[in-house]
Amino acid sequence: MPVVTLYWDELERLVGVDRKTILERLPMLGCDIERVEEDHLDVEFFPNRPDLYSVEGVARALRGFLDIELGYKNYEVKKGNWKIYVDPSVLEVRPKIAGCVVKGLKMSDELIRSLMELQEDLHWTIGRNRRKMAIGVHDLSKVNFPLTYKAVDSSFSFVPLDFDRVMSVEEILREHPKGRQFAFILAGKDRYPMIVDAKNEAISFPPIINAEKTRVTESTTDLFIDVTGFDENVDKALNILATMLADRGGTIESVEVIYPDKTYVTPDLSPKRMRVSKSEIEGLLGFKLRDEEIKLALERMRFGVEKIEDEAVEVLIPPYRADIMHEWDVIEDIAIGYGYDRIKPEYPQTNAIGATHPWNEIREIAREVMIGLGFLEVITFTLTSEKVQYDYMRRERPKPWEGFVPVMHPLTEEHTIVRTDILPKLLEVLSLNKHHPMPQKIFEVGDVVVAMKNRLRLAACVTHSKANFAEIRSVVQAVMKELDLDWSVEESDDPAFIEGRRADIIVKGKKVGVFGEVHPEVLENFELVNPVAGFEIDLTDIFDCGELI
Amino acid sequence: MLSPFEITLIKSLEVGREYSVEEASKVAGISKDAVLKAGYLLQEKGFAEVKEVVKKIYRLTREGEEYLKNGLPEERLFNILKERRKAEISELEKEFGKSFLGISLGWLRRKGAVEIRDGKIVLINDNVRFKEREALRQIAEGKWDSVPKDILKTLLKRKLVEEEEEKEIYIIIKRKPEVELKETIADLTPDLIISGRWREKEFLKYDVRIPSKDLFVGKTHPYERIIRECRKIFLEMGFTEIKGHYVQPSFWNFDALFQPQDHPARDMQDTFYLDRYVEIPEDLAEKVKQTHENGWITGSTGWGGKWDIKKAKQLVLRTHTTAITIHYLAKHPEPPVKAFCIDRVYRREAIDPTHLPEFDQLEGVVLDENVGFKDLLGLLREFFLKMGFEDVRFRPGYFPYTEPSVEPEVYVEGLGWVELGGAGIFRKEVTEPLGIKGRVLAWGLGIGRLAMLRLGMKDLRKLYQPDLGWLRDCPAIRR
Repeated sequence: MPVVTLYWDELERLVGVDRKTILERLPMLGCDIERVEEDHLDVEFFPNRPDLYSVEGVARALRGFLDIELGYKNYEVKKGNWKIYVDPSVLEVRPKIAGCVVKGLKMSDELIRSLMELQEDLHWTIGRNRRKMAIGVHDLSKVNFPLTYKAVDSSFSFVPLDFDRVMSVEEILREHPKGRQFAFILAGKDRYPMIVDAKNEAISFPPIINAEKTRVTESTTDLFIDVTGFDENVDKALNILATMLADRGGTIESVEVIYPDKTYVTPDLSPKRMRVSKSEIEGLLGFKLRDEEIKLALERMRFGVEKIEDEAVEVLIPPYRADIMHEWDVIEDIAIGYGYDRIKPEYPQTNAIGATHPWNEIREIAREVMIGLGFLEVITFTLTSEKVQYDYMRRERPKPWEGFVPVMHPLTEEHTIVRTDILPKLLEVLSLNKHHPMPQKIFEVGDVVVAMKNRLRLAACVTHSKANFAEIRSVVQAVMKELDLDWSVEESDDPAFIEGRRADIIVKGKKVGVFGEVHPEVLENFELVNPVAGFEIDLTDIFDCGELI
Repeated sequence: MLSPFEITLIKSLEVGREYSVEEASKVAGISKDAVLKAGYLLQEKGFAEVKEVVKKIYRLTREGEEYLKNGLPEERLFNILKERRKAEISELEKEFGKSFLGISLGWLRRKGAVEIRDGKIVLINDNVRFKEREALRQIAEGKWDSVPKDILKTLLKRKLVEEEEEKEIYIIIKRKPEVELKETIADLTPDLIISGRWREKEFLKYDVRIPSKDLFVGKTHPYERIIRECRKIFLEMGFTEIKGHYVQPSFWNFDALFQPQDHPARDMQDTFYLDRYVEIPEDLAEKVKQTHENGWITGSTGWGGKWDIKKAKQLVLRTHTTAITIHYLAKHPEPPVKAFCIDRVYRREAIDPTHLPEFDQLEGVVLDENVGFKDLLGLLREFFLKMGFEDVRFRPGYFPYTEPSVEPEVYVEGLGWVELGGAGIFRKEVTEPLGIKGRVLAWGLGIGRLAMLRLGMKDLRKLYQPDLGWLRDCPAIRR
């Protein structure tokens, strides 16, 4: 989630209250304050509110929330004489474009910084790292209208931003820092989106880089903004930028976007309308609000309230709100505007009888038995590797999927699969704890994943200078007795144990586990120097472990 | 309390009298070692005084013993000279040996008994006395105190006598215990119990301050204790425990929860995907698809774009327990339902003290017809109160599948307000395609966070990479 840096002097000036009030109330609007410094604060806003990724947006929201300026704020768009022609060639590549002109800005450092940060945050969130949407900001005086948005081939050349030589598209993707960073978006394409001006000179190569010639400087007063992408996120981002610049005193002028089959005028800063049912408000929140309370809450959140009828409220949604998909999104804002801290919590009357899950009941019993036998419970990661699970144990690697589950793109060599056995994890624990006094007796009762399904296992081991088969057999005998199981043993061929000192546990004619003296080669693999005796039992089929989803 | 030896000793000796160890041993009839041990113990208890005296003792050397037997060399020469009056030195040398003559002549001359004239030894005084032999006898008898100091000095110098220091120990009983002394019992044996003889005895009192050997107990992992506490709270509140597989299709982990398919949380950056695809229920998939693309009949606009069933079929290691709760609700869509799940979840994150690739999460859901946001807050307040957090407050939050969403904070002494999990009401885009009737209140939190607050842990790795020292030291009780 983006962290927005807000400078106190700007924020206090734009909102019109002191920092104490801001610090107190801002979290109740919905954000996490990460850091508070003398000159600024860092705030993490939620990904559904990109309109708060600038100090202007935050000020606008806070002025409503603090009752300084209530209700819907109207943004005027003057009809401009600016045209973008969309060439059919680009529709297959990056089909959507919108733009706007902003005039009469005072380009301070403060504004440039705020604009650039907002642009980056929008790229990252709404733009999904520029894949879905990308923004270009230009000095209007350097752009020769009308523009054409089209697809070009890789030899098309221009001087990209921050460079002083002409480069082809191919070169830019290979050599320009931004080209290298975002080339993945255009990977596999042989035609590239390009915005060219009336002289057929590039002004922008979306979503990669602008042309150097339209660079915004401190003397810039008028801007042209292009937004390209695939869907309505293009308009959402443009609206957020346009309203933010309007709040800075800019005059917004519209741009005509002419597609082969139709023409759009952007930006559209008119409000959307939504009818919000009053019974839905009461139902979702769980309490009744009076009409004026609903109105005030909405206006605090900068919605417009057109009318309140018996059944519903007609709400005007500001053009910068990218998150309102459903009636409930507005109702949440009513709750925030009303104040979460003012809502009286009430324990629901929902009547139900509690019940435990058999899986965990069996775990509890196994745990009780093992603790009674003096074993210390451990918990280990279920992520592990084939090396530890099988190679170290001298066991054959099973087939993936039938046996273990391999994860894609593991982060380390130690975490490549989900465990199918617990005993290797316990030996790992012992190898990490050699410096602690002996004897060491540990157990874990928990999940393994075999053939993509969870299974319930109990495993334990004991180590000291005289640990042996007889000791672990006593433990197994006690466990089987306490679990009230009819069982027998057969000589095992599990290579993890010493031949002649290993046994399979048989219940109802089926092998459910194994125990024995751990093979010295296994001990060497785990760098253990004391003998270890251990067992592992699969409890899944012995008991009714309940339904797993 | 006195040991049997102490009792014997104190009973045998007279008060105020000084006994050497040897004497005491004889009187009490116990070994010298036992006397010493008992003496020191009695001294500690104030019944006796043990005095250590350093004494000089003398004994004859081999030479001294020989002279005691045969007389000192000068005495023997004097007796010879008394007969012969004078004698040639060379003659005597031949007769008695050079060294004997050297020693004896030297001492006789020193005593003024002889003179040497022209190579002859002449006796000049008949009345010379030899006290040395008498002194040797007295020393041999242990009566060195009566030997004159100068003679003792001479004998030491002549190495006829050796001096040694000896520590002598004396025991003086200062007082006797007032109560009657009984024999004590060290180990209570079946024999003593059966015979009843323990009644005649007293129990030896141990020094209870001395620690015994450390034992390593078998016990529940401290983390498991926290999980158990959470389970208990849920059960007390009437929730049913549910459990699901770690491996889940993306459909239940993401799509059913209205997570858009291009959502950053679905990146392979953050999720452990498996290279395996499974079938998902077609009817549900179709409704979910519609909801994602255009909102279906939920009243939502949807996310737009195209929903790809292939992405929904891909398996993941579940990133949250919500994959299980939502599937459970889809199977039990009729209210009322109260369910909870506490289990392992996975995130593709590099390990550091506060980030783990797998951890445990708890989650509770309530499905009912007439419940709303205030009921969710009521649930949260009750749950946290049961966890021991008396002050709870609520801030707006954001989760893709809930609306409204809330971030509860609890007040922790010394830390202030601490965010603890998240909560919300499942969006209609989540519940309606799955046929869930009513509203779903849901909340969840990472158990690791609770462990940090409860166990004061700063490094969560300790929970899953067990250090036996830490586990052994972790008390069963929590304060």
